[in-house]
Amino acid sequence: MQYGLFLGCNMPAHRPDIERSIRATLTDLHVDFVDVDGYVCCPGFGTFPAVDQDAQLVTNAWNYAIAEEKGIDLITQCGSCYSSMKLGRATLLEKEGTKDRINKLLAVGDKKYEGRANMRHMIDLLYSEVGPERIREAIKTPLTGARIVVQYPCHTRFPSELVGFDESSGRPDRLRKLVEALGATVETYSLEYGCCGGSGGFHKTSAAEAESFTKRKYEAIRDETECEAIVGSCITCVMYMDRVQKLISTEEEKFSYPVFDYNQLLALCMGYPPSQVARISVEPREAFIQKYFG
Amino acid sequence: MIDLGGAKLDLWKEIFGDENIRHCFTCGRCIAGCPASEARNPLRIRSLVRKVLLGLEDELLDDDTPWSCVTCTRCEEMCPMGVRPFEVGLAVRKWQCANDETRIPPAIVDLYTRGYSMPVGANPDLREELGLERELPLITSDPELHEKWKRVLMSVKLIKDNDYMFGE
Repeated sequence: MQYGLFLGCNMPAHRPDIERSIRATLTDLHVDFVDVDGYVCCPGFGTFPAVDQDAQLVTNAWNYAIAEEKGIDLITQCGSCYSSMKLGRATLLEKEGTKDRINKLLAVGDKKYEGRANMRHMIDLLYSEVGPERIREAIKTPLTGARIVVQYPCHTRFPSELVGFDESSGRPDRLRKLVEALGATVETYSLEYGCCGGSGGFHKTSAAEAESFTKRKYEAIRDETECEAIVGSCITCVMYMDRVQKLISTEEEKFSYPVFDYNQLLALCMGYPPSQVARISVEPREAFIQKYFG
Repeated sequence: MIDLGGAKLDLWKEIFGDENIRHCFTCGRCIAGCPASEARNPLRIRSLVRKVLLGLEDELLDDDTPWSCVTCTRCEEMCPMGVRPFEVGLAVRKWQCANDETRIPPAIVDLYTRGYSMPVGANPDLREELGLERELPLITSDPELHEKWKRVLMSVKLIKDNDYMFGE
């Protein structure tokens, strides 16, 4: 089974080190993937989905049409890309007449979407197609003793009937099991299943309120865990959980937890150099990397 | 006191169309756990649904709260009546854009002119240092395909109606 690697916008623009870690780890895990030549924005919820349904769906369908020409499904790490493409696909296929209407628009660009190509999320692919056991066997340096907090991406949870792959949307555990496969201990805490607060328009319209929302999560992590690093698998969660810490820190109390994408941590455990796979962050990660990878 | 004198009773059909919206009995499960319910102008998705059903056109046109949505879609999972509150919020945004072009987010212009909302492809040196190919196969890497993409978008009515935004 071959997959099209759907990078989205944020990862190649701001965190290409995560892209590097995904390409490296998938290759080592023998996942067959190719680039999606000529892909466009998923589209993100603040763009066409906020403006016009046909513009939204024709954009989803453009990306699916490229995958379908290659006879493949898409994979992505970005929660928004995943959700936009999954929700768009459901409307295209289930709402009578929609696919035909959108295909008339696509035909102007010589594209057509039959409804075969689908989108999968990185966590789902790694858990269901590769599996924790093969990941355990593929790593060189396990994270023995490391205490990790996991951030589950909302966009892979709700609505579960359209996007879900975990057994429970309320208490997902696949990302936890993938982190445990690296030998780390995953800490549980009261706000473990809460949103990061970083997506959509919340922080843009209400910076102070959004920061105090996320600060409660960080205070729970501080009070209830011995967290050494936070691991996500959504570009928005990872970038926001990283950059918000400076914003919620005060003179009296600094928050400075290292934040990683899952594939970054996996790549480090496989022996890839941090200068390539974990290079860009706001909060320093050197001490954590030094402690576990030397 | 809400004045229902000028209420447009069929407004829900214009904004959302899905009959399920009428099943909302304002239980509030959509608000419980909604991050944006803490926004400066709190998004109270239940009240938004109510305004749509009551046909409060003027109030809805001025309502900024749907734009604070964090897009987590949790409300969709929580709603016991299949109202799809997250989609209602997006539908209100769309309806506002259709009635007031100043609501249209400028970011959509980037999707037309370069395919992406972020500057993808602007960091070839960094990519090389990371061990990546310098160039990605982007829509802008293939001018003929990019032209096709622009033609597809320009065939969408709302885009065509606002073509001045895109420099066309």
